[in-house]
Amino acid sequence: MKKLVIKLGVYAFLILISLEVLVRMFYLGEDKPSRFVDESQVEKWRPNQEGYSVTGNRNQNFVRYNINDSGFNSYQEFEPTKDGYEVALVGDSFIEGFHQPYKSSIGRKMELKLGEKIKVFEYGYAGYDMADQMHLIYAYREDFELIDRIYIKMKFSNDLNRGEYYVQNERLNLESPLNKILKKSKLLVYLSEIGALTPVRNMINDTRMLVQGGNTPKPVTRDKAVSKDQVFLENFKNLVALYGYDKNRTVLLMDVSTTPKLFIDYLDTNGFEYIDFGQKLNNADRNTTLVYDRHWNNYGRTLIAELLVHDLKLVGAPD
Amino acid sequence: MLFNSLEYFIFLPIMFLMYWFVLGKGLRLQNALVLVGSYFFYGLWDWRFLFLIIASTIVDYLVGIMIYKNEGDRSKQRLWLWVSVIFNISLLGFFKYYNFFVDSFIDLFELLGYSIKSTWTLKIILPVGISFYTFQTMSYSMDIYYKRIRPCHDFLSFATFVAFFPQLVAGPIERASNLLHQITNKRTFNYDQIVSGLKLILWGLFKKLVIADGIAPIVDDVFLNHETYPASTLILGVTLFSFQVYGDFSGYSDIAIGTAKLFGVELMSNFKFPNFSRNVAEYWQRWHISLSTWFRHYVYIPLGGSRVSRSKAVRNICIIFLVSGFWHGANWTFIFWGGFHALAYIPVFLMGRNTMYKNNVVGENSLFPSLVELGQLVLTFGIVTFSRIFFRSESLTDSFNFIGRIFSDFSYAPYEHPNGYRMLDYFILLAVFVLYEYRIRRDERNPFQFKSKAVRFLAYTLVIFAMLLFYDSGFDRSFIYFQF
Repeated sequence: MKKLVIKLGVYAFLILISLEVLVRMFYLGEDKPSRFVDESQVEKWRPNQEGYSVTGNRNQNFVRYNINDSGFNSYQEFEPTKDGYEVALVGDSFIEGFHQPYKSSIGRKMELKLGEKIKVFEYGYAGYDMADQMHLIYAYREDFELIDRIYIKMKFSNDLNRGEYYVQNERLNLESPLNKILKKSKLLVYLSEIGALTPVRNMINDTRMLVQGGNTPKPVTRDKAVSKDQVFLENFKNLVALYGYDKNRTVLLMDVSTTPKLFIDYLDTNGFEYIDFGQKLNNADRNTTLVYDRHWNNYGRTLIAELLVHDLKLVGAPD
Repeated sequence: MLFNSLEYFIFLPIMFLMYWFVLGKGLRLQNALVLVGSYFFYGLWDWRFLFLIIASTIVDYLVGIMIYKNEGDRSKQRLWLWVSVIFNISLLGFFKYYNFFVDSFIDLFELLGYSIKSTWTLKIILPVGISFYTFQTMSYSMDIYYKRIRPCHDFLSFATFVAFFPQLVAGPIERASNLLHQITNKRTFNYDQIVSGLKLILWGLFKKLVIADGIAPIVDDVFLNHETYPASTLILGVTLFSFQVYGDFSGYSDIAIGTAKLFGVELMSNFKFPNFSRNVAEYWQRWHISLSTWFRHYVYIPLGGSRVSRSKAVRNICIIFLVSGFWHGANWTFIFWGGFHALAYIPVFLMGRNTMYKNNVVGENSLFPSLVELGQLVLTFGIVTFSRIFFRSESLTDSFNFIGRIFSDFSYAPYEHPNGYRMLDYFILLAVFVLYEYRIRRDERNPFQFKSKAVRFLAYTLVIFAMLLFYDSGFDRSFIYFQF
């Protein structure tokens, strides 16, 4: 038995080391930039980091990211001016663009389509919801006052769970000393990325729930869904009241086909502008999302850029 | 509980440690642990079906004793044997075939011009492994009837034999003459046996997670959308399915055999590299061996086997293949699959070539197969793969549509999976897999045949690395043969 335990231990250790080497050799483990909360209480990436983002379990999508001085993934620094025409794209991972070469992001495509007469600043961060986004605009209001047009990407069913901004500690827990140590192992990062650690996490959560006597969440019924829409709408109103909303410069970017009529009616009645990207993407003749990922692929990003450029031309952006 | 689940990777070491180091000195305690563990293992699917296993266990335990008690009175013995057969077949018949018979009956009447509105079909869930453990318990009673073994009077040991968790849900279907005495006799901790078991588990997991689960999304897509694909893609799909079902089932069997070894038990081999068969008869000596052996012993030989007139032997072959097909599932597709194999087997039998490859392997005395052997391998693989169209299709209509498209509209177009899986990855994987299996083709119970420790270590690492590369968390990872 002793021999078995020792041999198993040695083999397990050596195999883990070898796997770590293989994962690094084939660059399978994603680089994880570190995050932080700045003095304005905005959660974002720690400025000036570089690395590779990897998607797909066989390294299908492999791109470099570049976190600028402002803490967002972009090829340029965000320095709005009084004289220039600047546009802000605010949103989640779709705007953040870790799945795309940052030099062919939506913003860059827009700049090129308009002959580089405008600058587009992409304030994107994976997991941002409407509270994060509106608080960011409010917190950086000095910069945003210089920006001529603001597009906020939102998904009604995901982004309006909160009516007020607060720092989300669960996300920041990823920066705990333990997680930081764990992130040093590319093998663990890779296992986590491909979902191999999900059963372990689920088991831990289930056990915790069981110990605490909790129940698993029940499915949402239709009545509850309706009332949930109402809650989301109230959250939106609350966010507007708290952080302000310049209707002349701000436009929501959303898929109308997945947004409840209740919200669309509210926007129409109260003069909130929005752009529907759903119609263009859903009717596209080619696939608009990545193969291993639900994010927009190059073609999807081109279509979004076209939509936004069209809107900018309508409001008189330099052409 | 699935062999490839986190639960099993917690369950197995706990069972192993308790088995050898907490209860290691008492055989009865060890058996009790295995029995409780097996019921727990099975109960995680659906605890209600445990009652079926327990009922089958009690019935055959008593039947075995009664057959033995009535030695000398053949009619009474036969009566008791029928009790076992009827009970087990009834379980199977109700849970697995009831709706099939009702639906087929209705279809038949509709063909004759009568319309019947069915109110008889029931929402029946198929208990996992029912086809396996009912056959195992039935064979016990039959073996006592045919005086091959004596009955087991120790109920605990017998219940452990029936419910032994490594092979409970998908075999190998063990005969009491091989397994029961290992349960009733003291097992000793054997380092080499345990290491060999761990190697088999690793290899089985590779076959399941990399070969079977890796290929599955492509096969699923091709069979689901077969009406939109050209013939070349359909051929690709069914060829990949051949590898998928092999990886899935032989992987399961390897894990089962490996797990049993951890508990000091040797299960029979279930697969001996069937992809290297030179004719269909050899294929059936290498594929799902425990089921083929079962049918040979308990159906084919009692019917007279091949020691009867040629026409009767052919009839017997047809019967066992049709029954074997039906055993796989309550669907006409499986019966056609069985029938197809009977048609492929009969010419081999009539030419007297059905046992000629029984004791040797392809390329027996050389590194590579001869050209003739290569032709035989390709032909056999082609026949078996073609039959899998029936095996995989949802209905006979789908099967014939699939075949129809191959023959009526033969065209080629490169295949692109909707999720963008790179086909080159799979071609390289399968080429390496086939070559590797060819290298180890002489010993199915020793998948890592390397003398050098370093090379062996490298092989373990690469196998695990491949599992990580092909792991797909979004894929349903249960085993194909659980549905049978």
